[in-house]
This record gives sequence, structure tokens and C-alpha cells, in this order.
Amino acid sequence: MNNTILHINSVSKSFSHSIKKLNGDVSKEEYCVLDKIDLQVQKGKITAIIGSNGAGKTTLFNIVSGLLNTDKGELFYTPNGKKYNLRKISPYKLARIGIGRMFQDNHIFPKLTVMENMLIADTDPYGENAFTSFFYHRKKRKIEKERKLRAEQIFEMLFGKANPFCEKQEDYAETLSYGQQRLLGLARLFMGNYKLVLLDEPTAGVNPVLVKKIAEIIRKMVDKRQMTILLIEHNMPFVESLADLCVFINTGKIETAGSVVEVLDNPHVRENYLGKRTTKRNSTDAQA
Amino acid sequence: MNYVFHILIMINIYIILSVSTNLLVGMANLLSLGQAAFYGIGAYVTAYALIGLGLPLLPTLLLAMGVTAIFSFLLAYISLKLEGDYFILATLGFQIIIFTILYNWIDVTRGPYGIPGIPSPKLFGLVKIEGITGYIILSTILSAITIFVFYKIINSPFGRALKGMRDDEIAMISLGKNITVLKVEAFVLSSAFVAIAGFIYASYISYIDPTSFNLDEAIFILTAILIGGTGNIKGPVIGAVFVVLLPEILRFVGMPDNLAANMRMIIYGLTLIILMRYRPQGIAGEYKFSK
Ligand SMILES: Nc1ncnc2c1ncn2[C@@H]1O[C@H](COP(=O)(O)OP(=O)(O)O)[C@@H](O)[C@H]1O
Ligand SMILES: [Mg+2]
Repeated sequence: MNNTILHINSVSKSFSHSIKKLNGDVSKEEYCVLDKIDLQVQKGKITAIIGSNGAGKTTLFNIVSGLLNTDKGELFYTPNGKKYNLRKISPYKLARIGIGRMFQDNHIFPKLTVMENMLIADTDPYGENAFTSFFYHRKKRKIEKERKLRAEQIFEMLFGKANPFCEKQEDYAETLSYGQQRLLGLARLFMGNYKLVLLDEPTAGVNPVLVKKIAEIIRKMVDKRQMTILLIEHNMPFVESLADLCVFINTGKIETAGSVVEVLDNPHVRENYLGKRTTKRNSTDAQA
Repeated sequence: MNYVFHILIMINIYIILSVSTNLLVGMANLLSLGQAAFYGIGAYVTAYALIGLGLPLLPTLLLAMGVTAIFSFLLAYISLKLEGDYFILATLGFQIIIFTILYNWIDVTRGPYGIPGIPSPKLFGLVKIEGITGYIILSTILSAITIFVFYKIINSPFGRALKGMRDDEIAMISLGKNITVLKVEAFVLSSAFVAIAGFIYASYISYIDPTSFNLDEAIFILTAILIGGTGNIKGPVIGAVFVVLLPEILRFVGMPDNLAANMRMIIYGLTLIILMRYRPQGIAGEYKFSK
């Protein structure tokens, strides 16, 4: 209990879709995407979630971040002594209590500048009220300045003194390359005060140099900001080098859980996900 | 000279309408077909305050803005839970309801006969806003204030949040933003400023009737900002100037009035089609309506 930050208790989720038969009848069919998922996420650790495409990993993230309802089960978030029932909290409030998320597709704001993408990521909405927005207001100014300073410090801490983000801060974010957009998506998580961060395939579709960079950033999330990380990944060397714990989801069920070595060496996981290789080193570099 | 001044006053009125509507359409991505209803509410409240209550200028203006804001809050509260196209339909329904009330509640609004003899308001009970010069000054001041306020809004953290919401609502939620509140605020603010246009129109023309605030007018306001462009201040201002000046230009080149009236609609339509094909962000806008 003490060391757990997120309790996922017996969470199930089904979707239904309509099937049109040849004779024109339409019938609804339910299919189960998550089946009684139990997971206690350890505070301060990096937990990797692995499993085939369509296994239900992103759906699990959507449930934790409130974008989808569960059919059954309970979710509790216990950052520091307090206990929140996640099923009873509006999705937008989650960021304010410390749950952050990076999406599988970037979800940065293309028509905001690079800097604005950082400023807007402050989870404290101070100054975002319409009716004060056209008055001069000293505190608002001060907070905006402070946000900008914080953003520049984050860029410097993550990418060094002369980095492309500070140089391009006035450009629309859509002008960044795909890989840079990913980095921006990670950098903006440092603008909030997050305790638990959900990362959905952060390395999908980026080159090896950036993969290393992303691993560094995630390490900094844990070491410098004491964030707990839940990580969906298909890149096994990345998982091995970074994660503390690993969970294997197959067709909506958690089939294996434990240390990374245990899970990746598990014959069942190899057979159903990694492929029957004998060396586990260069096992996979799967794309989304 | 009076003719030029009259055109300038109408341009000011349409600048106020389009700049405030831009907050919804260009910033918050909420297409509203009900803007003429708010324009009308502002105008009718103004008429009532000046004739019935004999209020001076500032209280009249504030009352018009306040009542319009209350109506818009109620509409926002009901309709913003609806997504995309359903929201547009809700604003359309509102527009039709308000027009029908203005047209049929004869005891209060005199229906199709309209309200004549709206007096000029007095500033602080002293200076009477009179004649065309008075209104050119008043309307220029009010449209300048509107432009200033919306310029500030667009460049504020609130404006940034609206742009963020326009780009990506899911990302906004994940960053802890209450997008329902953002939308309601944008809606109420926009409508309250639309009421300023109603105030100028009612007291300047001194006669109002429901046909000035019907669905055609709502579409006309949208046409102005779609032609001019949305997302910034320049676009809506240029759009307002364009839609007010075009009929005058047609008259100037000697087109007979009955032909010019039809010609003008055709030109608006063609301009829209051509722009949407070759320049979807409008003449000077920064936001394209495509996803
Ligand atoms: N909103 C939805 N409606 C219907 N089916 C969905 C929805 N979201 C996901 N699914 C289905 O759930 C399954 C799991 O998807 P997902 O969680 O995205 O898998 P992954 O493990 O690759 O992230 C897939 O079969 C997908 O088609
Ligand atoms: Mg996925």
C-alpha cells in the first residue's frame, strides 16, 4: 500500500461493434479488450507494459486518464497519503493532482509556437480566465515570465545550452520534425507537477540517437522529479536498459509480471510476443 | 460627406460584430449561427432602456451587454455539452426562437412594426450623442475599444488556451484544462460584445425591427469573417470593411439598385467559394477550417 501509487483492481472493458449480416440484419457484438486487469504500480519505479498491437495497452491508459469509463473494477491513486478514486474524478482534474500523459500520436499543438506549447502545459491555470484576460495585471505578467523562465531552464536541462527548442521557440510547433515533436511532448511534462506519468510508445518511429535521448529524459523524470513512470513500449533493448518492472499483456489479460529480466526471459512471453529467438539482445525493434 | 460618415458607422458596427464573433469561430472553433440573435437582444434592450427607462449612455450599454450575456450563458450552458455539428444546430435553434419572439410578441416588441423613435443617449446625462458626427465618434471609440480588448484577449493566456483547444481538445484535457469553462467564457464574452453593435445600431438608426436580426444577418456576419479570415484581428476587420463597402462600390460603378442587390449576394457567394478553394484562411486570417 505504502509503496504503491496506482492501484488497478480488476478493471475490465468491453467495446461493442455492429455487424451487418448478408441478409441485412444488424447485430451487436461485444468484445472484451481488458479482462480483470490487476496492477499495483510501484512508486518511483519505471514499469514497462509490453504486448502485441491491439492487446489493450492504450485502452488501459485511456481508462487511467479518465478518457474511457471502465465497465467493472476500481482505480485508486495514492500519491502521498491521500487516496483518490479515479472513477469519480473529471479527466481534466487528473493533471492537477499529478497524473500526466504522453500520447501515442504526439498531440502537441501545431498552431501554437514551441514556447507556447510549454507555457500552456503549466497545469496551474492561473491567468487563463476570460474576464481578466484584457486587464493589465501585475501578478499575471509575473507568472507568465516565470513560466517562460521555467520552460527555458527545462530545455537547457534536457537538451543542453544551445538547443533547437530555444532557437525555434517562436516557430509553430508543426514546423518541428516528428522526432523533435516527441521530445517537445516529453519536455512539456516537466512544466507540470506530475507524480505519475503515462508514456505511450515514446520511441515509436524515431531514430536511434533520439531513442537514447528519450531514455535520458525519462531517467531525468525519475531522478530529478521523482516521477513514477508507466511505459508502453515495443523496443525491448530500450525497456531492458530503462525499466525496473515489466508487465506482459496478452489479449486483455496480464499474463506475466515481475522484473524485466524475468518477464523477457519467460518462455510464454517469448512464444507469444518476442518471437522464438534464443538471444534476447537484438530481439525486436517493432514499429507501432 | 454624410454618406461617407454613414458608411463608416456601419463599418464600425460590423467590425464589432466580426471581431467579437471571431473569438468563437476563429479562436474557440465554435461555429455559431446565433450571433444575429445576440445582436438583436442588444438592440432591443437598448431601445427599451432609452425609451422605457430613459437611461443615460453607459448604463444603457452595460444593461444591453449584461442581458445579452445572461442569454448567451443560458444557451452555452445547454448547448456546449453537445459536440461539433450539434452545437451549430443548437445556435441555429436559438437564432430562430429569438427571431420568432421578436416578431410575434407584439405587446413587448411591436413585432413586425418595429420600434421607432429611439432617442439618442446622453453621456453622463450631459452631452447628447447627436447627429452623424456624434455617432461617428461614438462608434469609432466603441469599435476601437472592442479591437483593443480582443487584441488583448488573443494574446493572453486565455487566448492561448482557446487556440490550444481549437488544435486539440484531448491534449488540453490531459494538461488539466477545463475546456467546458473555456468555451462558456468565450461564448459569453463574444455575445456581450456583439451587444455593443446592437446598442450603436438601435440608437443610431433610431428604429429597429426584427428583420435586421434574422438568420440572414447571422449568416452575413459569418460571411464577413470567413471572407476576411479568422484567428487574428486583421482578418475580421478586413472582412467587415469588405462586406459593408461592396454594395457601395457596386452603386458607385453605376449598377442600378435592384440589380446591385442581387449582384452583391452573388459576389459574396463567389468570393466565399473562391477563397475556400484557393485561400481557406480568408484574406488575412491565420486559421484554416480544415482538419
Ligand atoms: N474507442 C474504441 N472503440 C472500439 N474499439 C476500440 C476502441 N479503442 C480501442 N479499441 C479496440 O481495442 C483493442 C485494443 O486497442 P489498444 O488498447 O489501442 O491496443 P494497443 O495494445 O495496441 O495499444 C483493439 O482491438 C482496438 O480496435
Ligand atoms: Mg497502443
